[in-house]
Amino acid sequence: MKLLVCVSKTPDTTTKIKFTSDNSELDTNGVQYIMNPYDEWYALVRALELKEAQGGSVTILNVGPAENDTVIRKGLAIGADEAVRINADPQSSLNVAKQIAEYAKGEGFDIVFFGKETIDYNGSEVSAMVAELLDMPFISYASHMEMDGNNATIKRDIEGGVETLSVDTPFVISAAKGLAEQRIPNMRGIMMAKRKPLKVVPAATFDDPVATVSYELPPEKGQVKLIDPENMDELVRLLHEEAKVI
Amino acid sequence: METYASLRNLKFLLHEVLNFSQLQQYERFADYDDEAADMALDAARQIADTYLYPFYREMDKDKAYYAEGTVHTHPALKEGIKALADGGWIAAIDDYDAGGQQMPATLLHAGLFQFYAANANLAAYAFLTQAAANLIRTFGDEKLHEAFVPDMYSGAWQGTMALTEPQAGSSLSDITTSAELTDEGHYLIRGQKIYISGGDHTAVDNVVHLLLARIKGAPAGTRGISLFVVPKFRLEDGELVDNDVTTAGIFGKMGQKGYVAAHLMLGEQREDCHGYLVGSPHQGLKFMFQMMNEARIGTGLVAAGTASAAYYAALKYAKERPQGRHPSNKDVNQEQVLIIEHADVKRMLLFQKAVVEGSLALLLQCSKLSDIAHVAEGEEKENAHLLLELLTPIAKSYPSEMGTLAVSTGMQCLGGAGYTDDFPLEQYYRDIRVNAIYEGTTGIHGMDLLGRKVTMAKGKAVKLLMQEIQATIEMAAKHSQLADMATQLGQVTRQLHKVTLSLLELASKEKPEVFLADATLYLEYFGTVTIAWQWLKQAAISNAALEKDLSTDEYEFYQGKVFTCRYFFEYELPKTSGLAYRLSSEDRLTLEIEESFIN
Ligand SMILES: Cc1cc2nc3c(=O)[nH]c(=O)nc-3n(C[C@H](O)[C@H](O)[C@H](O)COP(=O)(O)OP(=O)(O)OC[C@H]3O[C@@H](n4cnc5c(N)ncnc54)[C@H](O)[C@@H]3O)c2cc1C
Repeated sequence: MKLLVCVSKTPDTTTKIKFTSDNSELDTNGVQYIMNPYDEWYALVRALELKEAQGGSVTILNVGPAENDTVIRKGLAIGADEAVRINADPQSSLNVAKQIAEYAKGEGFDIVFFGKETIDYNGSEVSAMVAELLDMPFISYASHMEMDGNNATIKRDIEGGVETLSVDTPFVISAAKGLAEQRIPNMRGIMMAKRKPLKVVPAATFDDPVATVSYELPPEKGQVKLIDPENMDELVRLLHEEAKVI
Repeated sequence: METYASLRNLKFLLHEVLNFSQLQQYERFADYDDEAADMALDAARQIADTYLYPFYREMDKDKAYYAEGTVHTHPALKEGIKALADGGWIAAIDDYDAGGQQMPATLLHAGLFQFYAANANLAAYAFLTQAAANLIRTFGDEKLHEAFVPDMYSGAWQGTMALTEPQAGSSLSDITTSAELTDEGHYLIRGQKIYISGGDHTAVDNVVHLLLARIKGAPAGTRGISLFVVPKFRLEDGELVDNDVTTAGIFGKMGQKGYVAAHLMLGEQREDCHGYLVGSPHQGLKFMFQMMNEARIGTGLVAAGTASAAYYAALKYAKERPQGRHPSNKDVNQEQVLIIEHADVKRMLLFQKAVVEGSLALLLQCSKLSDIAHVAEGEEKENAHLLLELLTPIAKSYPSEMGTLAVSTGMQCLGGAGYTDDFPLEQYYRDIRVNAIYEGTTGIHGMDLLGRKVTMAKGKAVKLLMQEIQATIEMAAKHSQLADMATQLGQVTRQLHKVTLSLLELASKEKPEVFLADATLYLEYFGTVTIAWQWLKQAAISNAALEKDLSTDEYEFYQGKVFTCRYFFEYELPKTSGLAYRLSSEDRLTLEIEESFIN
């Protein structure tokens, strides 16, 4: 099976997020990046498990500049066979999706994996767009997946329950928690990563039809209030009047 | 904020202070660029977060116990050892074609620091195995490699170092465990070993002791000691059979309750304990010293790691606990301030940071020297080896002794809470204490430094160290903010040199008892100066970094370094003048006093 895993980088979860002075861009000074956890922990690892069980190859793909190579090589260290970086710095999800589809369309991938969302922008957009551009079925938020020949049985958590779906390859899937278990790269993988191919592909030219105007940080969290465990009335009052959650 | 170890600080030391990627110039380490190192450190952190740290407290509460001949350990141990083995960390330093990754010790030890800070009582099992396997790889023959090393690298078998006997602790020349050659080529071992770490437990299928014993008829003293591999189960016709190694029990201890120390009886039941000689006879102590030197750096790392975890626990508390008001504010209607705002609490936190990060800097410096000594040629190799030999007793003892004080200070930051088991400080305090005892007591290291290391190669090691310190002084002197500290380090180093010369003169005039009486104080003195050198180096690099446009996090990181260096030079380094006074004094009171006067 030929498997493609699309990965993006996101700021490390401990990063203090700041924006440039006009609030239109992330201030990247001092930001540490990691591979988006949904891409790494669930999409990539499930793809590797499939390859280990059935043979085939796993390619990871990133759309981004050369500084993303560090994050890409982590994917190779975890076990992907090869990597592709489309050398572009697109500013909209549609542009990213078009770059991926442009590359993937002639490659004959059986399954294209994504994480369900990136943990920075939380868009959940690119995977659906790629499916549309490649004219493949799309299943989002997959938390379980089994293959039987070219047919996949996929489960997704829905409000209050679980939905089970069946789909034949080729298809696009976005991975949620549960699809696989996080793998820690071992030293052999880390040392091999450098010797695996990382192909840099020139970007195609697409427009960015959507522009970001500005970002805002959430309001600062209020102070913690400690309430005497005996004083339930006061707790109810605060939750009702101040927190407005009941 | 970090919970047990700072990854940022490790990367600072590796890349900015030690120029880790310089090691790539040596063929063995050619693949180790900065990116590979960072990826390895990140992977180590993930293992530590997942398999080690969550079980630190549990392994203390559900401690190892002995019942009916079996040593039971916490269930987390098996999985933890497996994670470290699967991660490639146990085999890491060996050759590529032996299943290793030719990892430089500098990187290995940076990884180890995180493992030990997260849970030394678990990680120590795995790295004891690594050291034992390394000893077989270095001095054993192909047959021993094949029989033992693969199962040790996979984490299925435990390795130990079995030296101590009831009558032979510091004094290894008094070892009596015996070995008798049989017609089949193996030796029959008889004797007892005590306090053997990892000596027996249920998380592994076999235990492989690297054991010191005396071949029958061997010369007395250290020249008659040989090294043997003695497994708990030996391989016979493809089956593991009992090798007559009995565990008499494990020791109840103050700390490290998850890390067993066993009492072993060898050949006591059936006179059928087989041992396999490593290398040639009577070379055992020399071989073992290779392992012990590594283990000493390892002990320093355990101590520094434990003190690091205690520091972050204290720092977290100090940033959350409101108590009291500033001395200038008597208004009780105003809210209390966080304790970190009190100058005395800041002092206590700075002391801990100074000890932890100063120790770690020295330990990684030693690791780099050990890498160079391993792969370089000629004078470069010899110099690195000499410096490493000189610094090893300090790298073992400073973190152990000062780390214990640092953890105690960490406990102080928490007040009453620190003494309760609601917080981990009491465990860190119990756990760190042993580091100044095993792998040679501080007293033994003091004598090693003053009695052997300072004079070896006609004092060349000391000369090399002085050159290194001088280079750092010159680097720091270029920064106006650090110039005074550079001058101060120059003065203190000259004073140390003077004291050393006067002690050596004493050695030539009087019996060794006089010269060595205060060797432990000399070690403390030498150690404090060495750590000051490490701090000045870090401050100079940080000061240069501060001239750049930095993010808030980075700015704070480098400021923290410069301030901690200032702390060390204001609060710690001046203590050397008291030590210099005592070491220069002609009062021989510890030799003059009769034992009966100590009553
Ligand atoms: C938890 C634990 C784990 C251990 N693990 C191992 C292990 O895995 N393998 C192993 O082989 N051993 C192990 N040991 C043993 C350890 O290495 C010894 O305890 C240590 O070397 C000290 O020996 P001792 O206990 O006999 O003390 P002693 O040698 O009796 O020392 C007692 C005191 O006398 C001082 N002293 C002794 N000789 C001199 C001298 N000549 N001059 C001046 N002062 C002196 C010492 O500094 C010390 O303060 C372990 C010990 C402990 C507590």
